[in-house]
This record gives sequence, C-alpha cells and structure tokens, in this order.
Amino acid sequence: MTIRKLKLYSAAAALLAGLGVHAATAQTLNVAVPGNDMATLDPHRASATLDKNVINWMFNGLVRTAPGQFSLDTIEPDLAESWTISEDGLTWTFALRQDVSCQGDYGPLTAKDVVYSLKRAASPETSSYAGDYAAFEEITALDDHTVEIKLANAIPTVLGLLVPFNGGSIICEAAGEALGENFGRNPVGTGPFAFAEYQSQQYVRLIANEKYFRGAPQIKEILFRYLGSDSSRDLAFQSGEVDLVNGRFEESWLNRTAQLPDTTVQVLGPYELHQLHLNMSQPPLDDIRVRQAIAHAVDRAGLVAFRGEMLTREATSVIPSGYLGHEPQDLPEYDPEKARALLAEAGYPDGIDLKTVQTTLPAMLTTMEVVQAQLAEAGIRLNFELVDHPTFHAQIREDLSQVVYYGAARLPVADIFLTQFFDSRSIVQTPTAVTNFSHCDVGDADITAARTELDPEKQKALWADAQRKIVEALCAVPLYEMGQPYAWNNKVQFAYPLAGSLNLSPMIDETTRLAN
Amino acid sequence: MSKATDVSPPARRSEFMLLAGNALGATRKALTHNPTTLVGTIIFLLIVVLAILAPLIAPYDPVAQRIVNRLQGPSWAHWLGTDYYGRDILSRLLHGARYSLMIGIASITLAVIIGSLIGLVAGYFGGRIDIVIMQIMDVVLAFPALILGIILVAVLGASVTNIIIAIAFTAVPAFARIARAPVMVLREREFVQAGRALGFSDLRIMFRHILPNIVPEIIVMASLWMATAVRTEASLAFIGLGIAPPTPTWGGMVREGFENILDSYSVALFPSLAVLVLVLALNLIGDGLRDAIDPKLAKNA
Repeated sequence: MTIRKLKLYSAAAALLAGLGVHAATAQTLNVAVPGNDMATLDPHRASATLDKNVINWMFNGLVRTAPGQFSLDTIEPDLAESWTISEDGLTWTFALRQDVSCQGDYGPLTAKDVVYSLKRAASPETSSYAGDYAAFEEITALDDHTVEIKLANAIPTVLGLLVPFNGGSIICEAAGEALGENFGRNPVGTGPFAFAEYQSQQYVRLIANEKYFRGAPQIKEILFRYLGSDSSRDLAFQSGEVDLVNGRFEESWLNRTAQLPDTTVQVLGPYELHQLHLNMSQPPLDDIRVRQAIAHAVDRAGLVAFRGEMLTREATSVIPSGYLGHEPQDLPEYDPEKARALLAEAGYPDGIDLKTVQTTLPAMLTTMEVVQAQLAEAGIRLNFELVDHPTFHAQIREDLSQVVYYGAARLPVADIFLTQFFDSRSIVQTPTAVTNFSHCDVGDADITAARTELDPEKQKALWADAQRKIVEALCAVPLYEMGQPYAWNNKVQFAYPLAGSLNLSPMIDETTRLAN
Repeated sequence: MSKATDVSPPARRSEFMLLAGNALGATRKALTHNPTTLVGTIIFLLIVVLAILAPLIAPYDPVAQRIVNRLQGPSWAHWLGTDYYGRDILSRLLHGARYSLMIGIASITLAVIIGSLIGLVAGYFGGRIDIVIMQIMDVVLAFPALILGIILVAVLGASVTNIIIAIAFTAVPAFARIARAPVMVLREREFVQAGRALGFSDLRIMFRHILPNIVPEIIVMASLWMATAVRTEASLAFIGLGIAPPTPTWGGMVREGFENILDSYSVALFPSLAVLVLVLALNLIGDGLRDAIDPKLAKNA
C-alpha cells in the first residue's frame, strides 16, 4: 500500500514539475476578438475583419508597410529585396529574397509561386479582389528569383497592391494547388506564424514558423479566440486569461480598461468608414426622395456621441478621410422634419418599412439599433433580420438586404474604395461582384477615367467628382469613421511603436515578445 | 333524426359547462385551501393587469432612445434606471411583460389543445395507434425543451408566431402523456362501457364523457408548463433568438444587461427579477392546483 502510494505521489510530483516547466517556457499569446466564428482564412477571399486579423500574422507580400504602420509612405521590401521600374512606369521587376520557404513541407518560395499567387488574386474564380488587379496584364517569372509585372495602363498604386493585404498576400503554388477549395481552412503562407488548428466557434491556433526568413518568432503559439460576448471577453482579459483583446467599440471601455494595472490601451488605425448602402435597384429605395429622407433622418453627431469621440469621428465623404483623393463633401444635414416631408412627397405619408439583414456582432448591432431609432423618428421603420456574422457577409452579397450597414478600410487610395463599393462592375450578384451593395453606377465614368489619369491634379479632380455624384445620388449614407480599440497586458512587448495595420490587428511577428 | 338535432344544442352547452365547472371547481378549491396559491394568483393577475395597462402607465416610450441618459442607475426620473441606449427600463419591463405573457399563454394553449387530443386518441384507442403515437412523443420528449426550441426558431426564423409554435411543439408531448394516462383508466370504467353499450360514437364518448374528467390534470400541467414557456422564451431571447430589436422582451433585456453588467447592474437585474417573479407565481399556482386535485392530499387535509 505505502509503496504504491509513494509511487503515486512521485508520479504526481513529476507531473506537476513538468507542468511548471511547461508553463514557464510556454510562449502562448492569447488573443480574444468580438465575434463568433471564422469564415475563411484565404487572404484572397477573406472580407471579415476577424479573418483578416489572423491572416495578418501568416502571410508576406512582395513589399510591406513598415511594421506597426499602415501608411503606404512607409513601404519597404518584404519578399522582394529590390525592384526597378521601367521609364514608362508600366513594367515593374522585382528581385526576390532567396531564403524564403513556404510553411509546412511546401518547399522554398520562388518566382513561380509569386506569379501563381498574383494570378490567383487577379482571377474572379479564386479571389474577391480580382478587380484591383485588372491592370496587371502580364505576370512572368524571368528566373527563379525575378518577377516581372507588366501593366496595361498606369494605376494609382502598384506597390499598394503588393503589400500583404487582401490580394497582395503571397500564397505558395504547391499549397494552393494541393489544398484547392480547402485552402481557406488550411492556409499556408510564408509569414512568422503558421496555421495549426481551427475549432469551430472557439479558436484558431497558430504556431511559430521556426523557418521564418527573418528569424524564428519569440512567441511560440497564438491562440486566437472567438469571444462574442463583450462581458465575457472583458472578464477574460481582466483575469489574465487573455493577453491581447480587441475591445468594445466604446469610449467607456477605453477609459475603464486603461485603469487596469499593467495594461496598455490604444485605438489603432486605419479608421474604418461605416456607411449605410441603400439598394437602389428595388422599391422604395429606387426613389431618390426616399434615399434623401433616410440621409436627413440620420444624425451623425448623435452616432459619434454614442460611440465616443476617442474612437470615432463624423464621416465626411463616401470614402474614408486621409485616403489619396479624398475630398470632403456636403453631406445631408440631420433634419427629421424634412425627411418626413420627403417621404410624404414620394407617396409614403405613413412612413416606410425597410428590411435589413443585420449581424449580431455587438459593435455593429448596437450602432444599427441607434440608427433604427433615429430613422424611426422620421417614420422609416428598419426591420432587422438578425444572423451571425459569416451569414451576414454571405446574405448581403445575395442582395437580401435593402439597407446594408458596412464598415470598411481599404488601401488608402480613393480608387480602391470607390471601385469596390461604387463602380457598377462591383455590383453584388454579378460575375465581377465585390461590395457594391447599392447598385450604384453614377460615378463610373469618373472612377474609370481617374484610374488611368497620369496627371495627379486631374486625377484628384475626377475622384472628387465621383464622390460628389455618389453623395448626391445617395448610393450610401456615410455615418462615421471608427478605429480599432485594443488593449494588451504589458507582458506583450512590441519592438516598434504601433499605429495600426491594414488588417486591423496589431502586427505580431518574430520581434514580438511575451515577457514573464 | 330531427329529434337528435333538437336536443344537441343544450347538450353542447352542458358539455362546456361541465368542462368549465370542473376547472373552476379545482381552482376554487386550490385558492381556498392553500394560501401560497392565493399569493401566486394575486401576483400573476397583477402582472397581467400591468401588462394590459402598459401603454397607459409606462412613464416613457419603451423604444425611445436618449443616448445622453444611457446606463443610469435607478433614480426618481427612471425608477429602475436606463439601458445601453438610454431607454427607460421600467417602461420596457411593462411592455416586455405583454410579450412574455402572450407567448406563454398562446404557446401553452396551443400545446394543451394539440397535446390533449393526441393523448386522448392514443389512450382511447390503445393498441398500435397508441404505440406509434407515444413512441413519436417520446422521441420529441427526449430532446431538452430549450434545444428543441433553438432548432425550431433557428429553422423557422425568429418571429412571435414562430416562437409560439416552437415552444408549443416542445410542450405537446407532455400534454399528450398527461392526457393519455387517465384516459386509459377511464376507458375501462363502467360509464364508458355503458356509453359503448348504448351505441354512442367514439367521438361522443371521448369528448363528452372522458375529456371533462381529465381537465383538472391538464390545467395543473398547463400552469406549470406556462412557467417553463416563459423561461424558454426568455432563454431564446437571451441567446439572440428572440423577437428582433427594438421590441422589448425580458430575455432580450437580460442579454443586453449582461453585455453591460460591468457598467450598470440594473439593466440585467430587473428583467431577471421579473422573469423570476412571474415563473414563481405560475409555479405557486400550479403546485396549489395539483394539491387541490390530488385525492390523497385532500384526505390528509
């Protein structure tokens, strides 16, 4: 008996000791985000913020914005060591690094992979961002480590399309071919972290890519957890269960969380522009007076007051401020009386009912509940159809929502935002569909002309015209611009100052540390 | 033939009177014999009256938002405080009671009618019909009510009608079982045998002679299940399968309150208490009624 007991004790002690050692060396970064599930981790497909957040840590582009930065002014080499541009600006030649390998057993990265990846990003069959790469006429591998891109015409930014964001993330050919449709559930990149595991509605687990060309990451594992409930996420962060948290989109949260010991709170850029896209192809929204009524019923200042000024600012146009080509517009004033009058004039003296598919994501649903109340004052009844976030993204692309509430940040160039949301080629349910939910086409001519305009002044004027026409036609009602509220335990140490990231999550790479 | 048609109208009335009489009898007995039942009934009736009068007595519009007043604690202006959008919690509770009660009563009424009929048929005819029907009921009963509710509402979509259907569906087997057992006993009793010997139709025996005898059991069950229905509705709303905003429902309010519990306790507390009080009242009524119709307890008293 006693000997057996002794054995049991020693076994238990050994186990405990083992656990202790494990805990001390475990470099697991726990991240929690407000959402319920992943949709796809294919960078050429992903459109949900939560998905981009993870993609951010797995992929490289030919170039990148400086770590912690998102401005295109900070572009520096990533997979490409250097590049040259022909005199006419139409031929770009990139020399690749030779020490890059694909994650898993997919071998070294060569020019062939880059060609495959860019063609994949440019094909509507495999990419949601194909439209961005329409001007990429020829993509060829000159040798194993040289890629040449020939453009059909000049475009506003070439390097911007080659950063690891949306179509610019480079996918290895062998992995893309082998995994096919399953790539979104088994992404393979070249970045500091590699995909390890996905548990539906629970988490995505990433492990350090020990062969990463900039060196093995110090953090060995990232657990990206879906904690949809705001309170649960807050409590998990307070108790130390979570190290890095995408918080509540609210000033009170920023203030309260900043009071916690050893905690850094920061609003990260780029600010996303939130707007209501009005489906002009269906009654009653095909009547411009009804759309004007909605625009006059929305109180932008009230929405900013609701979210807080630390986090949000009023929208000024149908593209986010600060983007190349952004021009502030005269947006309709808040005037519920005028809205009622316009509705009556359009033949709806008793108001109208509109259907909107709405995500249950708290940050978006709460805003829409405020918008719903604002519109109700003018007799516009917004009826919610509540669905989870991936379903929301699917259904708004099937034209099932008369009013689509969408918040987005893109490459900070007017062309991309205007093309994706307001060019008629991007209308949902068409072969070239992107995110034109409103069936807007009033800016087509200007957007197209600006894309190939070489004179920067004329280009800006064209973009300004497009914005003015879209605002006048009320394809969309801009609400506000909002940053990403993040908080992290000071154990998490970034090697550079953080301004934000195009993928809306703080950059975690080989230099990020977890101090114990 | 003509004689039969002359007689039938008064017969029908007496049938109804018989049913109502039995129900009233049991209720009266429960109220007079058991003080807790009286308390439960008073609370329940109070909630019903408040719900009916909600549009008249609610101090504010339940959906009017005032962002500047958000997440306030109880005060003279807002007795129970305000929610995340600055809406008055008391007003929302009063209006929310209408949905809780309406869904509870409608779904249980539906379940009582369908479930009793199924139980009556199964118990009266017995044999293969009984086996098949009750096996199906057992399968449905094997699912926890909430899970079944979630599946149905998720498939049908969250609207008042669908929530009523979903909750009714989960309660049907319970009523089928409760109706079937006494029917099987009554089926063999002399008065039923006599009815058969006189050539009465099955329908007449079932509805006129057996149904009135099982009504008390069903009423007890209905009051207890109504508590469950209120809870199920609140649970569905809590997990996001309730009526879409801005309609105030108690479960939806608890959910919203839970999201803001670190900023203000009152948003979660008061709707939770409201659910608690209503469920408690219904359980008190149900327990009292059960005691009243239980012959064993009656003898002891």
